[in-house]
Amino acid sequence: MVTCTGCALLCEDIEVVLENGGIKESRNACRRGAARFRGCKNRLAPSVDKKQTDIDTAIKKAAEILKNAKSLMLFGWSNSTCEAQAKGIQLAKKLNAAIDDTSSFCQGLLIERVLQKKFRTCSLEDVRNRADVLVYWGSDAQDSQPRHLSRFSVFPRGESRQRGYEEDRLAIAIDVRESNTAKICKGHFYRIPLKGDREFILALMEALVGKVPKYDAKRMLELAGIMKKAEFGVIFAGIGLTYSIKDDIDILVSLADMLPNFHVMPMVGHYNMRGFNEALFKETGFVNRVKFGVKPVHDNKYAVVEALKSKSIDALLITGSDPLSSLPRSILSHLASIPVICIDPCVTLTSKIAAVTIPAAASGLECGGSAVRMDGKVIEISKVVENSYLTDAQILTRLMEGL
Amino acid sequence: MGMDVGKFMKNPEYEIKLTTHRDIFQVEALEYDRFGDEYKKHSAVVVMGKDDMNKFGLKTGDRVRLMNSFGSIVVELRESKREEPGGLAFMVNSPWSNALVSDETGGRGIPEFKNINAKISRTKDEITTIESLIDR
Ligand code: SF4
Repeated sequence: MVTCTGCALLCEDIEVVLENGGIKESRNACRRGAARFRGCKNRLAPSVDKKQTDIDTAIKKAAEILKNAKSLMLFGWSNSTCEAQAKGIQLAKKLNAAIDDTSSFCQGLLIERVLQKKFRTCSLEDVRNRADVLVYWGSDAQDSQPRHLSRFSVFPRGESRQRGYEEDRLAIAIDVRESNTAKICKGHFYRIPLKGDREFILALMEALVGKVPKYDAKRMLELAGIMKKAEFGVIFAGIGLTYSIKDDIDILVSLADMLPNFHVMPMVGHYNMRGFNEALFKETGFVNRVKFGVKPVHDNKYAVVEALKSKSIDALLITGSDPLSSLPRSILSHLASIPVICIDPCVTLTSKIAAVTIPAAASGLECGGSAVRMDGKVIEISKVVENSYLTDAQILTRLMEGL
Repeated sequence: MGMDVGKFMKNPEYEIKLTTHRDIFQVEALEYDRFGDEYKKHSAVVVMGKDDMNKFGLKTGDRVRLMNSFGSIVVELRESKREEPGGLAFMVNSPWSNALVSDETGGRGIPEFKNINAKISRTKDEITTIESLIDR
């Protein structure tokens, strides 16, 4: 059995069939996971200034860029093992650089509050064994963490939930779109207007204290009734919810405070985003957006989006992320004018414009290590096939040595 | 045969709101090849409710230009298989949708990925390629 790094569920029950040193087939994984085991079509090659070279030359050039930068940022990290993330943080410290990860424009706001213990949270095993009311809020797990419902929440039997979804569990979806997850929550889908989550929370809070809410009173009172009666409820907070209430995220803390039997779990996409957040939090007290110096400073200006927008960095090292693909094009013009170092197993949009590219082993396939599941549990990931690629951690070590 | 008058008329533009989501088939294609046809097929698409399409005189399979002050892309239009309340169109999150996302963040580092205002109009232009989204 091996672990899938397709998403932050880190499913540990994958069987792989090997043939001629490669993976012939994977079993038990979802469509997303199976694709991860098949690997990508275009492997990244080492290059400097878009000309192919050997790995040593690429690493040497990258170290030179890092050394000469006056305002450097190290970014990415959510697709790397904990071991590589630790090296990345070490490198940032050594270079007095800024460090940020994809949680900065994803679930960082929620994970930070989980780590600060502002939310009651729980493990996925608790969900399987005990949860009776499951609220998918701005989260389409069926498409993003595809085995969430079948391994942990709606469908499995659990210690105190022997009759599963037919009698023991109730699944609710609150979303702008009738997602594939919402379809499963039949009869309990609450459609909200775009950016309507805050108003929905306020109305739900009114209903919870017995007032008649201004907004969809009948269904809101019904939902409040279900949530109040829950023995073990969980709000799976998706990126749809986070984006919608990003300017007033603590309103979700206030709602959770009114629901003593409820737990909040941020739904994480990338397999080890939480790992990075935990590591940086332990080191600095912040989950992302930190600049090292005399002491670590946290500021929104160290968010990758703001740093690119304000053109305040003069070099960017990216590990396992493709900002050219995942960020708005309106803020990306700066990327073309600074040296970008791209460490990745595969060719990406960003690698096409990078000054230096360094191919890495794909974690969970070509290298092992550990990672943190979306609920905070540490999971070992395995090396499945022999190969000669350097791991992210080895590349970062060599960069440090080359300084 | 009569002259194709449509050819000389500017196609009418309509204001729409767009939101984005994830799709397992698109993610599968992304894992394999983000420059491939399969990824483009699942990404360069906008989905709309039937009533909105009727209102705008658009139909499934039309190529449409989505445009705002941040960018302009050409994608394929498809009718939603679900009941939609109207007034909102859907795209899978991708470099195509990201071409339309505002640079306004209030200094707080999170763009409005899921809250896009754009104009939609029918076009004969080709679907935007991923290569052209890297060029600047
Ligand atoms: S749910 Fe996530 S971790 Fe599990 S098999 Fe699918 S992609 Fe892999």
